[in-house]
Amino acid sequence: MTVYAVEDLSVTIGEARLVEGVSFAIGAGECVALVGGSGSGKSLTCLTPFGLTAGQAGGSIRLDGRDLGGLPEAALRGPRARDVGFVFQQPLTALTPHLTIGRQLAEAWTQSGAPKPGREALVAALARVGLDDPAERLAQFPHRLSGGQRQRVLIAMAIAHRPKLLIADEPTSALDAILRHEILALLDRLRRDEGLALLLVSHDLPAVARHADRVVVLENGRMVESGPAGRLLAAPESPYARALVAATPRLADPAPPLSPVGAPLIEARGITVSFARAGWRRGRLVAVDDAALDVREGEALALVGGSGSGKSTLARAITRLGPADRGEVRLRGQPLPPRGRMTRAHRRLIQPVFQDPVASLDPRWTVAEIVAEPLRHLRPELRGDEARALVEATLAEVGLDAGLIARRPAALSGGQAQRVAIARALIAEPALLLLDEATSALDVLVGARILDLLGELQSSRGLAILMITHDIAIARRLCHRIAVMEAGRIVESGATAQVIDAPMADATRALVAASD
Amino acid sequence: MKPALLILAAIVLAALFVPPLLPWSHDAIDWDAIRAAPLVPGHPLGTDGVGRDLLARSLVGARVTLAVAAAAALVALAIGVLWGAVAGWCGGRIDEAMMRVVDALYALPFMFVVILLMVLFGRSILLVFLGIGAVEWLTMARVVRAEVMRLKQRPFVLAAEAAGAGPARIVGAHILPNLAGVAIAYLLLTVPQVVMVESFLSFLGLGVQEPLTSLGILVKEGADEMDLAPHTLLLPGGLLVAILVSLTIAGERLRDRFAA
Repeated sequence: MTVYAVEDLSVTIGEARLVEGVSFAIGAGECVALVGGSGSGKSLTCLTPFGLTAGQAGGSIRLDGRDLGGLPEAALRGPRARDVGFVFQQPLTALTPHLTIGRQLAEAWTQSGAPKPGREALVAALARVGLDDPAERLAQFPHRLSGGQRQRVLIAMAIAHRPKLLIADEPTSALDAILRHEILALLDRLRRDEGLALLLVSHDLPAVARHADRVVVLENGRMVESGPAGRLLAAPESPYARALVAATPRLADPAPPLSPVGAPLIEARGITVSFARAGWRRGRLVAVDDAALDVREGEALALVGGSGSGKSTLARAITRLGPADRGEVRLRGQPLPPRGRMTRAHRRLIQPVFQDPVASLDPRWTVAEIVAEPLRHLRPELRGDEARALVEATLAEVGLDAGLIARRPAALSGGQAQRVAIARALIAEPALLLLDEATSALDVLVGARILDLLGELQSSRGLAILMITHDIAIARRLCHRIAVMEAGRIVESGATAQVIDAPMADATRALVAASD
Repeated sequence: MKPALLILAAIVLAALFVPPLLPWSHDAIDWDAIRAAPLVPGHPLGTDGVGRDLLARSLVGARVTLAVAAAAALVALAIGVLWGAVAGWCGGRIDEAMMRVVDALYALPFMFVVILLMVLFGRSILLVFLGIGAVEWLTMARVVRAEVMRLKQRPFVLAAEAAGAGPARIVGAHILPNLAGVAIAYLLLTVPQVVMVESFLSFLGLGVQEPLTSLGILVKEGADEMDLAPHTLLLPGGLLVAILVSLTIAGERLRDRFAA
């Protein structure tokens, strides 16, 4: 039985026709995935028919046999509250901080017109989405829950009133690979057990294709391809779908060729980092516990682990960009001084690239000024015209158009901004590049191009890379070795193929399963 | 922004250069024209209750008000930004100590401080500047400190550290320019407040002394006489409103430009 069907759906905002000719149908217990890059009109397509965007929907929209086409916003509120549930991208900010989980859940219930639920019903609702200790969670505030737990609560809120259709708009983009896997498995179970129709929106085609019955691929607001998920993943017909499939690294891909490695570059021993607990609580929270790490010249090492495993803290402690309690780091055999006493010669050898490309560029500086900043401090011997020429050459090397040189970060796309950040890191000619989730905030296609660029730079410049990621498939694309972190400790490390093919630790097995 | 700046510039220029050109000075009494209506010969905007030329008094009053506002705002900006930036950047114990000083100064009754200064050093308009500036920087320091702590977490600050920039350069080249929007926005909230405080002090006899005047005093005098001579309220009041509105508009445009 078809629960939700759109035919020749279009979305217009003012004069602009942003989405056109989209058709699909979802039956009870089925999942349709809506896939496309950023700006392809995915969110407009799934939210506008219910009056949740500024756009105007056209075409035929049928929900549970009723035609919603052309209804005013007020008339949509009824079906929207009764028959549809929504899950959004940002689990960290989607819950009201000052209300307990129980209060928010009860509110979701009563909003759709149901009577106020009893405590048992609330506990059952949380148990239904697989949250541990559901009875205890009811009295807790959102900040006590992790991102994955909060997303479970949001799903519980979205399905509290037993809707027929669940719309999940990028429900896993803000989560790490293991949590992504778990949340998608939960959505699978809900639709199978309860006959929920699921519309899953994502930019990550391979990740959702395994959970969907049918896939609809959008590019620039047009439907470029649709069909059964298995067929589309195995043999995509449109060039865009092919690019999306190829862009996502998978463990089944053939192993990429890697450049040769040299002498030891970084040797870190006994690194321990702890933080004072927030508020009045005593004691310290140990984020990294006695970790050791080696990186050779020209070698790429991946530090892999879930959110909160301490991988960023460890990498920053080693590169002296973060605090460290104890531990020794040697750089080319010489001891590296603590953070406050790092000399420019030391700084020059290690350069970082961070996750959020726009936030890592000073909004008030131009591209040229940003890229030239390391030269001013780390290579002051260069003359003005030499520095300018080097800035231009480096921007060209990372594939940026010279016309962008006078722009400020707000006028750059995410991919362009990340290329600027890479150019800034490269211009001092470092020996080691620290990549802190450098592609995870980017669109799949853009992220794949950045990964390719990093691979080329690594072999052309003989760069060593310390790469932090939660996705072991990305690590495999670029890295010689993998070190897996869990709860502040390195639980396993070894050559990439060995770690992935024969994982020893439970944490590694979970990461491999999540990327499979 | 242009019209607002033009109005502001016209008022400032008039306040600075027009009074000497007028036939009557701000403190001269015309015994033949007490509480005269506008447009009487020699007094284009009339006179006040004791026969002083209202145009001259308004312009001199605007001069005093603008000077107090500018001085107090600059004092607040200089001390507040420096104090807040150091506290926010250093954090930890230094931050604690510096912010407790701010709390302690907040707790002192402002009037008590001003009266104490007057008693110790005698009445002077300089003390009015100092007294107001010394109070207004406290809130500025808190605002700036919070903003610095927020900016300090941004990855571009860490990237600057990796690029070899020292703390002074990071604060000077990355943090302070990004603060400008907030600092300017807050500065514009300060100016009207300073104008109010100044007229309050003058009304109590602690600020500007007769026959010198300020817009605040003129409004107060005009309000006393509004039933007999409404122009004595409307002229200085209108001037005050024009100054505040154009300052606000210019400031908002400036802030938007920094934010972009």
